[in-house]
Amino acid sequence: MYAKIYGETTCGIDGEEIIVEVDIANGLPGFDIVGLPDTAVKESRERVKAAIKNSGFRFPSVHITVNLAPADLKKDGSGLDLPIATGILLGTGQIACANIDDIIFAGELALDGSIREIKGILPMIIRAKEVGKKEIFIPQGNSAEGELVDGIIVYTPATLEEMTKHLNGNIILTPLPKHRLKLETNHFTQVDFADVQGQVVAKRALEIAAAGGHNVLMIGAPGAGKTMLARRLPTILPPMTEEEALEVTKIYSISGLLGKTKGLVMERPFRSPHHTISHNALIGGGSVPKPGEVTLSHNGVLFLDELPEFSRSALEVLRQPLEDGFVTISRVQASLSFPATFILVSAENPCPCGFYGEEDGVHECTCRPNEIERYQKKISGPLLDRIDIQIHVPRLNYKDMKNTLPVESSATIRKRVKAARDLQLKRLEGTKLHCNADMGHKEIKKHCILETQAEVLLEKYFVGLGLSARSHDRIIKVAQTIADLSASNIITGRHISEAIQLRTSNQG
Amino acid sequence: MHSRAQFGKWGEDVACRYLAQQGYAILERNYRSAFGEIDIIVEKKGEISFVEVKARKTLMFGTPAAAVTKSKQAKIHRTAFQYLQTCNRRYRQFWFDVVEIYAIGGKTTINHIQHCF
Repeated sequence: MYAKIYGETTCGIDGEEIIVEVDIANGLPGFDIVGLPDTAVKESRERVKAAIKNSGFRFPSVHITVNLAPADLKKDGSGLDLPIATGILLGTGQIACANIDDIIFAGELALDGSIREIKGILPMIIRAKEVGKKEIFIPQGNSAEGELVDGIIVYTPATLEEMTKHLNGNIILTPLPKHRLKLETNHFTQVDFADVQGQVVAKRALEIAAAGGHNVLMIGAPGAGKTMLARRLPTILPPMTEEEALEVTKIYSISGLLGKTKGLVMERPFRSPHHTISHNALIGGGSVPKPGEVTLSHNGVLFLDELPEFSRSALEVLRQPLEDGFVTISRVQASLSFPATFILVSAENPCPCGFYGEEDGVHECTCRPNEIERYQKKISGPLLDRIDIQIHVPRLNYKDMKNTLPVESSATIRKRVKAARDLQLKRLEGTKLHCNADMGHKEIKKHCILETQAEVLLEKYFVGLGLSARSHDRIIKVAQTIADLSASNIITGRHISEAIQLRTSNQG
Repeated sequence: MHSRAQFGKWGEDVACRYLAQQGYAILERNYRSAFGEIDIIVEKKGEISFVEVKARKTLMFGTPAAAVTKSKQAKIHRTAFQYLQTCNRRYRQFWFDVVEIYAIGGKTTINHIQHCF
């Protein structure tokens, strides 16, 4: 007897339909799974056997062959338990269901027949809907993800028995209700820009970074507040669109990192990996590639504290995602592309001891010139070249620190950022670009209008500082963001000069 | 003779009668080699079959055929090849069969699984 059932696995950050074929033939009792299963899938044999038996069904004492097609795709995860068990029940006539071809099954089985939650349900549901399936059965533990996709009926049976009864028409399960996505409310309770006294220049720089999606490098002495500032950047980023939120949720679903609520990720991610991170952990890797930190910070912020302490190889692999907004990882098993559009925020000290250029009579830089040079050279030119805003974060003096004047809250700044982003979206409508930082040379020529005075100023700086063509474009991009923040449709001399000030770096 | 061994012997007798009925010629019974033992060796139409007999009085420990494990199969394979080398005959084809005998509730059921490993 032969049965065909549809299941799902994940491939990159997308779901992939798997055809589970079950053949039940006479012969010595046995149970084989073929079609490139990984260990978790191979072990599903024992789980399926026990679950079928303990749910009160008959496990046939004959030879069972399960084929997972397409055969060249590596199947991972335990989500194929449920389709395999369903296939065996169908093949032995214990399930009779007419529209089984319109249904996708996904879930891990416990030995007692209950259905356990798995990773990556959201992309599976999205995929199921894309290929035109009408129903999907998922574990109850994943129901928050099931509520997010419209246009497909989602059932969450608690046990294999319950699901079988439903398929046989003995009981009728209620499909999951659909939740409308609510994104307007963002609640960052822990941190706010109102906590930061002083640091006006740095705050302004971060506002510009948030408004235009620019990468930031902060240089300053230890304890100046670089980390504190960076942690507050997500609070002023505009809320994610529905599309962006779904994309981020997909990534977190596959990585098994959805929080307790398991629902939609509504806050922009903020990732701050430790500087001992390997380059594989940063961009993604593994024999079947898994998303790395750059992908986990997609649509959010990647914060690299103590930038020069990161290994050279880890820093250099950032080049591709910073340029293209995605990473392609090739391994023997698969070659996958992960999205990786993020704002890079990095912080570093000016020298190993941290006080070079910060001497105040108490602290003195104790580094030798060659040490300072070596420290600064750890970050390569091409990487620095991709960081639009490079600022100096000075040490606070006592008066500023003890200041009790009210400081602007994140919500106020965010309103301005949102307005500037809206302008950009309107300007870049019809392209795939979202913000000023995404613009290439062509778009800059098309959209950025410089006042004569601005043009003169730029030329003076360009010749005087010996800037490169790429730097030229980046200054204009930052200036455009500054113009957007002040709701001006042309770039004036003031905008250009502020943009130039945001590049204190001595390189390029 | 011990009762368990007696039951096994009885099962093999039942299987022999059954196979004879099906038109098989019995060549050997309890053929032994250094590697193991083959319960019954039969022939039909120039094809030779090595038969393992499994009899059960209860299904509490699984079906009879489930007891023919991979290592048991390996023993039978090696013994079979030794037999083929020493039998001075050529066969068109050779097979491995299992005959299951259910002796449950006073009723005897025979299940012949052909060409199964």
